[in-house]
Amino acid sequence: MSTAWAFYISTVLVYLGVNMMACWGLNLQYGYTGILNFAYIAFLSAGGYTAAILTLGPNTAGGFQKYVFGLNLPFPLPILAGGLVGGLLSAVVGAIALRRLRSDYQAMVFLVISIIATTVVTNDVGLFNGPAGLSLIPKPMNTLVNLSLVGYQWFYVGVTAVICAIVYGFVRRITKSPLGRSMRAVRDQEHAAAALGKNVAAIRMTSFIIGGVIAGISGAVLVSFISAWSPGGWLYQETFVLFTAIIVGGTANNAGAALGAFLVPVLFLEATRFLPPIGRPGLTDALQWVAVGSLALIFLWFWPRGVLPERKRVIKIPSLLPPGLRASTVSGDHPTGIE
Amino acid sequence: MSTQTDALLVVADLRKSYGGVHAVDGVSFEVGRGRITGLIGPNGAGKSTVLSMVAGAIRPSSGSIVLNDTEIAGWPSYKVARRGVGRTFQQSGDFSAMTVMENLLTAKPGQRGDTLRGALLGKRYWRAEEDALIARATDLVRRFDMTAMANELGGSLSGGQRRLLEIMRALMSEPEFILLDEPMAGVNPALGERIGDYLLELRDGGLSMLLVEHEMSIVEKLCDPIIVMAQGQILSQGTMSQIRADQKVIDAYLNG
Repeated sequence: MSTAWAFYISTVLVYLGVNMMACWGLNLQYGYTGILNFAYIAFLSAGGYTAAILTLGPNTAGGFQKYVFGLNLPFPLPILAGGLVGGLLSAVVGAIALRRLRSDYQAMVFLVISIIATTVVTNDVGLFNGPAGLSLIPKPMNTLVNLSLVGYQWFYVGVTAVICAIVYGFVRRITKSPLGRSMRAVRDQEHAAAALGKNVAAIRMTSFIIGGVIAGISGAVLVSFISAWSPGGWLYQETFVLFTAIIVGGTANNAGAALGAFLVPVLFLEATRFLPPIGRPGLTDALQWVAVGSLALIFLWFWPRGVLPERKRVIKIPSLLPPGLRASTVSGDHPTGIE
Repeated sequence: MSTQTDALLVVADLRKSYGGVHAVDGVSFEVGRGRITGLIGPNGAGKSTVLSMVAGAIRPSSGSIVLNDTEIAGWPSYKVARRGVGRTFQQSGDFSAMTVMENLLTAKPGQRGDTLRGALLGKRYWRAEEDALIARATDLVRRFDMTAMANELGGSLSGGQRRLLEIMRALMSEPEFILLDEPMAGVNPALGERIGDYLLELRDGGLSMLLVEHEMSIVEKLCDPIIVMAQGQILSQGTMSQIRADQKVIDAYLNG
């Protein structure tokens, strides 16, 4: 493998890992709990900026970029802080948007929040260096491991894989548990869930915050790798790429979300990168958005459950009694347990 | 109606208005223990609104709802449910992308694995309770002759089976009181009869129920006492024969 190819492939693998994590977080919110978080990319970005300003050194006056903090913290603190900030921001946004609004209005609020976030970060230059964004963010442990350029690339693929595995284990514990079941109940029929003693607001909030933590971590892993982050990288449309990914892969299925992360943000967008430029500059990029949108629509119309649909969780029930004996179980002493 | 001392639920001067419309206009009644209290009346009488207020799904404008000596008016649904009140819905309320078994398993409030901490502690932390719930759910699907459908999705059930599922689900938390909103609506007569038999059986087991219905024949068979509502108010209450003799009821309902 030539160096160029090794560099390219390792980069794509890190992107895949980042997108898989992002899709698991979004899938928890949307696929399992039914929250239409159209601001998801803003939480990912918050994690990215957090990691950036915690990794960068102090902001020197007259330096080429302006930012807050600059704490020079070592790995993995900036990544963890990215998750923390993603979660805290979700708690604040969730408290405003999730409580009283119906889900279609929530979606509108989230979309607006995403646009506000980009506008604020772009215009408040002192925060994260405005539209130019932050760059030259030191790579985690780069000086420590002392590897060649490509060697470090592969090292970071490993780091991403480990973080991915931890996030997956975490998500899986939730989705396999009674809590995950309650999330699906809230998604299917919130009034019935409430009538069965589920605190719908608390369950939504839990799912939303965990999704936010995961978004923050994935953003932190991404920004630490590419060493730069600017508002152009997290426009509100990016959220729809992730939504398309989980719709294509299969909602409420973690394997489906991972597959979607591979098929849409990685395979689909990477493949179109190799197309020859056509028309005026920027046309190919614009057509990419059209293509992603169409992909989502095609799947919602013809294949709404995705490539790997939500699995039916079969629970084995003990062997049946012959029909003639069934009456005797019914007449047994209070089989429903009502005393 | 029985004496006040064995009342499970005491509703007093309950009101709900939407703008100028008084959907429920000063309703007072009691629900006795171990009885199926019927709440009947024509469409728009306010029956379902009363039921939803008792369940916590709708906030009353004013009035009092006392369950086992605790004032619960204005409580959110989930808190009322955790006090041992089950509920079925007029429009189907099943979790359509979950199996019958899952519908039942999720119906028990306060499970160990139903908190973030419990979920993260893993299966070993909540497995024993889950197994007990599976046993109980198995009991219920057998009792209601739904074993063949146990692992079918809620969304693939027939209308009647959904009614049964909702009743079973309300029973999962071992409630002492359930609110039934037209449990036989849209169900074929044979299954409707079976649902009625199940309800009588549950009553004999000690369960108290408030049943909203507009079909007089069903109420006649299952309920004692009966409360008749019209236009947001109570017209009459008592046994079926007392109701039948009441001129107000005859005018407003029986002949209508």
